[in-house]
Amino acid sequence: MSVPAIEVVALHKVYRSTLGRTITALDGVDLSVGEGELFGLLGPNGAGKTTAVKILLGLTRATEGSARIAGLPVANPESRRRVGYLPEGHKIPGYLTARQTLSIFGRMSGLDGATINRRAGELLETLRISQWIDVRVKKFSKGMTQRLGLAAALIHSPNVLLLDEPTDGVDPVGRREIRDLLREEAKNGTAVLLNSHLLSEIELTCDRVAVLRAGKLAAHGTVEELTRGSAKYKMVAAPVDDSLIAAFRDTGAGVERVNGHVLLSVNDVQHLNALVDQLRARGGILSELSPVRSTLEDVFVDLVRA
Amino acid sequence: MKVLYANIEDVMREAAARWTLLAYFLLSTVFILIFASAINLDIVDGALAGAKLFGKDVTMPADHSISIEKLVLGFESGFSVVLYFLCTFLAIFATAHLVPRMQEKGTIDLYLSRPVSRIKLLLSRYVAGLILAGSNVVYLLGSIWLIVMWKTHVVHPRFFVASAVILLVIATLLAFAFLVGVVTSSTAVSIMTTYGLFFFALMLVGHDRIAAAVSKEWQAWLINTMYWILPKTAELGQAVIAFVSGEQAPERLASVLTPAPFLTTAAFGLVCLALASWCFQRKEF
Repeated sequence: MSVPAIEVVALHKVYRSTLGRTITALDGVDLSVGEGELFGLLGPNGAGKTTAVKILLGLTRATEGSARIAGLPVANPESRRRVGYLPEGHKIPGYLTARQTLSIFGRMSGLDGATINRRAGELLETLRISQWIDVRVKKFSKGMTQRLGLAAALIHSPNVLLLDEPTDGVDPVGRREIRDLLREEAKNGTAVLLNSHLLSEIELTCDRVAVLRAGKLAAHGTVEELTRGSAKYKMVAAPVDDSLIAAFRDTGAGVERVNGHVLLSVNDVQHLNALVDQLRARGGILSELSPVRSTLEDVFVDLVRA
Repeated sequence: MKVLYANIEDVMREAAARWTLLAYFLLSTVFILIFASAINLDIVDGALAGAKLFGKDVTMPADHSISIEKLVLGFESGFSVVLYFLCTFLAIFATAHLVPRMQEKGTIDLYLSRPVSRIKLLLSRYVAGLILAGSNVVYLLGSIWLIVMWKTHVVHPRFFVASAVILLVIATLLAFAFLVGVVTSSTAVSIMTTYGLFFFALMLVGHDRIAAAVSKEWQAWLINTMYWILPKTAELGQAVIAFVSGEQAPERLASVLTPAPFLTTAAFGLVCLALASWCFQRKEF
């Protein structure tokens, strides 16, 4: 069995202030991300997403539990040998050019000059900032700085990518390019953990998602599983009169008329079939019955408000 | 080594981009030019016939008892103490920001997410800072040494070698600045406390007299203890003059050329560096 690229078990993190107050940032979180997987970590502000990523990078220590990257405990600097990280609101020193930035961080990752030059050329070309290679970062726009940050995270061809708001400040075309790049990296076996508030980005990019709420794992699964879980169906039928709707409601179903069709909230498939039977028993003709998928945003808001 | 090279490149590029490097070497160059133009010696057949300092004639004894070698030694020992203060002050000013700036939010993550242990990262940065400061010390003392050789044809390597003592003091103070930087993440506090330490340690050269003047025994004990713990900035300044003067050094100055001030100063620096590494290793970002 292959070792997970990222593995977090019963992770707790409690921050203690100098006055003795405690804040629980993580409260027993379990996570596992496999090779080649695109994993989205969601949660409202203060849910513990950044703390989890910081623990994975050894920037902060877990109070309890364990975190491993490619099987190595995160306290071991070697665990970061194959990790690329793009922090939110990162500040690449403005006095460096793109070339110098990649040279310094590439060498800190153990690369030689020739490899750095080759990778820098490839990455800056892919991220469409190659014409700015010798311009100082302080002259870069936010989107360009973000692209350079991503290049710095990728310079040493990591097996694990931890990205905090990677498309922040990037234009829509750039966002799509970054999405494509991440998919390409995943196809090559890189595990990508994406931390973002842009739920549509996560929905478009990730295979699996976990939602953190108040330091606990509120939900996790594939995007398909999470957005399908609400058991809502769109029914187009005729005639649907008030007595039929009342009969549907008597079974415990939620019924809502929307633009000429009916939106049904049912317990399960049997419940749905029972409603169809009622429709037919009253001589109704069914022309469309389809599941209504919630957006990830709907799921997220429901989970956070729960 | 790659980590060290990366840090040296980073530190040098930052110094260049922020004009620190230029200002650092420009100030030193101004000092060197003033020195070069201030001294005019009239040497006839290898003997000193006359001398001018800042355009004014230096009164020479009628019996020509001052040799050119003696005069050069006098110049060099006098200037060495000025250079001791100048080099130390410039070095702290040019390097005290290295840790606080690295620890800024959004920047530290970029460094710590690399496969480098925190201690290695901090020590590489320390060495990079020391190389920056050391290059200026070598430039300043080396240039003045060469100017003196060019003008007098007197080769006196002790003056240049004294830069090692200045470097020891800079290395110690830089270690202290790193410790303060790691704890406070503030460049201003690092600079102020390091200069404060330098001056406080200077005053402690009179620890015997201060201890005798205080009213309580514990105060006297505290002053004497601090004297032994803190770097001997006064004694090492005297040691620079004594070393440059060699056998010509006055007895009062020559007496400081013992291992004690060097060893206690180096020990203070090592403890500061170890503490800075320990704090940096434990710090949560």
